[in-house]
Amino acid sequence: MPPSFEVSRRSLKWRETRHLLLTTAPGALWIVIFLVLPSLYLVSMAFMTNGPYGQPGMPLSLDAFRQLAGFGFLGWSPGNLYTLLRSIWQTIVATGLVVVLSYPIAYYITTCRASLRPIMLLAVVVPSWTNQVIRTFGWMNLLAPETPLSDAAQFLGLIPEHMGLFPSSFAVTLGLVYNFLPFMVLPLYAAFEKLDTTLIEAAIDLYASPMRAFWAAVFPQTLPGLLAGVVLVAVPAFGMYVVPELLGGGRSMMIGNLVAGQFTGASNWPYGAAAALLMLAATLIGIFLLRRLGKRAGGGEEVVI
Amino acid sequence: MKRGALKRALGIYWWVLLFFLYLPLAVVVLFSFNSINSAAIFESFSLRWYYRLLANDQIMSALWHSIVLAMSSSVIAVLLGTLIGYGLYRHRRRGLGWLIVLIYLPIVMPDIVFGIADMTFFVRINALTGWLAPGLGPMILSHVTFEIPFVALIVYSRFVGLDPTLFDAAKDLYASPVKRAWHFIVPAIKPALISAFFLSFTLSIDDFVISFFTSGPESSTLPIYIWGAIRKGVTPEINAIATLMIAAVIVAAIISLLVTRRRPQTPPEGR
Amino acid sequence: MTNALATDDAGRPAPSITLEGLEKSFSRDVIALDGVDLTIRAGEFFTLLGPSGCGKTTLLRILAGLDTANKGVVRIGGHDVTEVPPHKRSVNTVFQSYALFPHLNVEDNIAFGLKMQGVEKDDRQRRVREMAEFIKLTPLLGRRIDQLSGGQRQRIALARALVCEPNVLLLDEPLSALDAGLRGQLQVELQRIQRRLGMTFVFVTHDQQEAMVMSDRIAVLNNGKIQHLGTPREIFERPANTFVARFMGHDNLFDITSREGDLLDTPLGRLTVDTRTHGDKVLIRPETIELGEDAETDANYFTAVVRESFYRGSYIEYRLDVGEVSLRALSSNQGQKLHKNGERVPISICPEDIVTVTDGE
Repeated sequence: MPPSFEVSRRSLKWRETRHLLLTTAPGALWIVIFLVLPSLYLVSMAFMTNGPYGQPGMPLSLDAFRQLAGFGFLGWSPGNLYTLLRSIWQTIVATGLVVVLSYPIAYYITTCRASLRPIMLLAVVVPSWTNQVIRTFGWMNLLAPETPLSDAAQFLGLIPEHMGLFPSSFAVTLGLVYNFLPFMVLPLYAAFEKLDTTLIEAAIDLYASPMRAFWAAVFPQTLPGLLAGVVLVAVPAFGMYVVPELLGGGRSMMIGNLVAGQFTGASNWPYGAAAALLMLAATLIGIFLLRRLGKRAGGGEEVVI
Repeated sequence: MKRGALKRALGIYWWVLLFFLYLPLAVVVLFSFNSINSAAIFESFSLRWYYRLLANDQIMSALWHSIVLAMSSSVIAVLLGTLIGYGLYRHRRRGLGWLIVLIYLPIVMPDIVFGIADMTFFVRINALTGWLAPGLGPMILSHVTFEIPFVALIVYSRFVGLDPTLFDAAKDLYASPVKRAWHFIVPAIKPALISAFFLSFTLSIDDFVISFFTSGPESSTLPIYIWGAIRKGVTPEINAIATLMIAAVIVAAIISLLVTRRRPQTPPEGR
Repeated sequence: MTNALATDDAGRPAPSITLEGLEKSFSRDVIALDGVDLTIRAGEFFTLLGPSGCGKTTLLRILAGLDTANKGVVRIGGHDVTEVPPHKRSVNTVFQSYALFPHLNVEDNIAFGLKMQGVEKDDRQRRVREMAEFIKLTPLLGRRIDQLSGGQRQRIALARALVCEPNVLLLDEPLSALDAGLRGQLQVELQRIQRRLGMTFVFVTHDQQEAMVMSDRIAVLNNGKIQHLGTPREIFERPANTFVARFMGHDNLFDITSREGDLLDTPLGRLTVDTRTHGDKVLIRPETIELGEDAETDANYFTAVVRESFYRGSYIEYRLDVGEVSLRALSSNQGQKLHKNGERVPISICPEDIVTVTDGE
C-alpha cells in the first residue's frame, strides 16, 4: 500500500470542503453583507439616541423602546399597543378568510380534468404576479366613492352618504385577502392532490355522514398543506405596508406603517428601528408557533416556502 | 346525485372567485381606455392616456430603470443562487443548518424591515466611504439578496429530482469536472434555470417596498412612480402604464403555460 | 478464503484486474469490504454474486473509481489505478438505473463518452451508428429517453458504455428492473456480445441463476469477504461453505454427528461418501436423490414418506420425510409414475454425489 494513501484521503476531504465553500460562500456572503449586517446595524440603532436631524447617534439609551411602549411627553398612550394588536387581528382575520375561500377552490381544482389543472392554477396565481401597488390601486378605483360597490353599500346603509368603502379597516382586510389568496391555494392544492382517496371511501363507509367523513379522513390529510399556506399568508400579511397605507386610513394603520413612518416622514430612526425589531420578533414567534403546530399535526418538515 | 350538486356549486364558486381575482385588474384596464379622467364613469374608448404615457419622460425612465434592475439582479441572482443550490445538493448529507437558516432569512424577513435595514446601512456606508449612494446600484444589491433564496430552492429541488447516478455516469463516461458542469449539469437543470430567472425577474418587478427605501431621486422604478402618483392624487396615465404591466404578466403566464405543457414536471410558482 | 484462491490456477493470459487487500467502510459500523484479494482475467465474464449489502456494488464502484477504498490497491492491466479518477479510467459502467441523460436523445446519450474523450464528430457519428447497428437499435436513435421501454433503455445504456471500447465493462445489476422474459433474452444477448467482443465483463447480481447462466467465473461475497471463487459448476456442486450452499439454493444440509473413514452419521442416517471430506455438514442436492425402483441398487438406501409433491412440468418436486428429517428431492419428468402424498418411497443417493461443506457465515 502506498504510504501517500492516507494523506490523499485527507486531501479528498479538504477538496469536498473547498467545493462546499466555492459553491455556497459567494451567495451566503452576499446575504450576510446585504441583509445580516444591515439587520445587525438596525438592531444596534434601536439602542441609539435620535439626533437633531433624525439621525441616530450616541449616547446609547433605551429611549426608543420607552417611546415604542407608549411613554411620551404627554404620559402613556396606548396608540402603539393598539397598532400591534390591530396588526395581529388583521392578520388573523385575513388568514382565516383566505383559508375559508381557498379550501373549496383547491379541492375543486383537483376534481377537474388533469389537463385543465395547470391552467386553473395559473389563473389563480397570475393576479399575484402583477405589482402589488397596481393591484391595490385597482381596489382603490373599485371602492372609491360613487362607484357601484360604494353605492350599494350606501343603499344598504353600511356607510354614510358620499363616502367610499375606503379608507377603512374593511378595505385593508379585503386587500390582504386579495393579495395572499393564491399563496394558500397552491400548497392546499398540493395536499389535495396527494390525498389518499381510498381513505375517504373507507371513512364514508365507516361514518355514514359526509361531514364526519370529511373531518375524520379528509381534513387531517390536508392539514400540513394548510399550515404551510398559513405561514405563506400570515407572515407577509403581518408585515404588509402597501395595502394599509393605500386602503386604510390613520385608524387602520398596521405595524409596517408605524415602522415606515419613522423613516419617511417623522424621521426618528432609533424609534423606527425599535418598532422594526418588535415586528421581526413577532414574525419569528409566529413562525415558531406555526411550526410547532405543524409538527404536532404530523406535517413534519413539510412547511416549506 | 348529491355529489353532482356539490360539484356544480363549486363550479359556480370557481367563476365567482375568478371574477373577484380579476375585477381590480379589469377595472384598471378598462379605465385606461377611458376618454375622460375619471375612475367612476366610463365615457368612451380612447387611447389618449397611452399617447400621454409615451410623452412622459419620467414614466419612460422609470420603465427603463425597472427593466435594468430586474434584468441585472436576476442574472446575478441566478448565478449565485444556482451555485448555492448545487452546493446544498452535493453536500446535503452534511449538516448545513446554518446555511438553510441564512437562505430562508430573506424570505421570512418582512419587506419593510428588509428595506429599512438596507437603507440605513447603505446611508451609513455612504457617509463613511462615499460608496453606495442611493440609486440603481444599491437597489440591485438588495434585489439580488431577496432573489437568491428562490433561485437556490428551485435549482436544489431540480437536482433532487435527478437520478443521482447520472453524476456517476458522467464521471464514468470520461467527463472531467469542467466538462461535467458544461455538458451535463447545466443542460440537465436548464428548465430550473429558466424558471428561476423568470421568477427572479417577476419578484424584482413586483417589489415595491424594498425598492422604495433603497432608491434615490434619479432611480425611480415604475412601482415607485405609480406609488408617488397615487399619493399625490391620481394622474390618469397610471391606468395605462398599469395596463401594460398587466399585459406583460399575462403574456408571461401564457409563455410559462406553453413551456409547462411541454414539460409537465414544473409547477407554476406564486408570489 | 484460502481454498477459494486455490482454484485460481496460473498459466492463463495476463491478469486484467488485480485487487489486493481492499478494505472499505462507510462508518465504524458499516463495513462494506473486509480485505478482498481477487484477480479477474482478461476477456472473462466475471460475476460478483451475493445478497444485498454484501459489498458487491461497493467493489464495482471502486473498480469504476466512483468510490475510493480505505486500504488496498487496484490494478488494471498491470497499472496501479487506485487513485485514478473515474473519468481517466478506461472502464465503463452499465448502471442499475441505466442513468441515461434525460436532456439528451438516444444518439447523443450513446455519443456522450466519445464526445467527452474528444473524438472528432465524424468519427463519433460513425461509431455511434455502428454500435446502434450492432445492438439493433438504429430506429431509436432520434428518440427521447422518456419515450423508451425498460428493455430499450437497458440496451442503450449498454451501447453507451460499449461504444467507448473500454478495457473492462462493469455491469451493476443491469437486468434487475426487467420482467422475467426480457431478462432471459438479454442474459443470452449479453453473453453473446461479451464472447464476440472478447472484453472483460464484471457483472454484479444477487440472482444465482443469472450468475450461473452467464459467467465464466463467479465470486460469492458476503459481509465484505469473498466466500467462494470458482466456475459456476464448482460453486454449485462443491460450495465452499454453508453460506454459499444456502445462497445457491441448497437446503438439504445435515449435521455430521460422527465420522469413520468414508462413513458419516447424520440425522438422516448413516451415509457412505466417496471421498474423504473434512466439512462440518453434509449437502445432498435434491436432483441427485433417486426415487422408486431405480433406488434399490444404490448404497445409501432409505425409505421416505411423500409429504407434499409439486408438479413443475419438466420435473417433479417432492418434500419427503425420512424419520424425523425432511428432505427435498427433484425428479426429472420422464413419464414415470408420480408418487402420491403419504406414499412410502424408497430413495437412494450415489456416494459420489454427496459433498460436505464447512460452516460459513
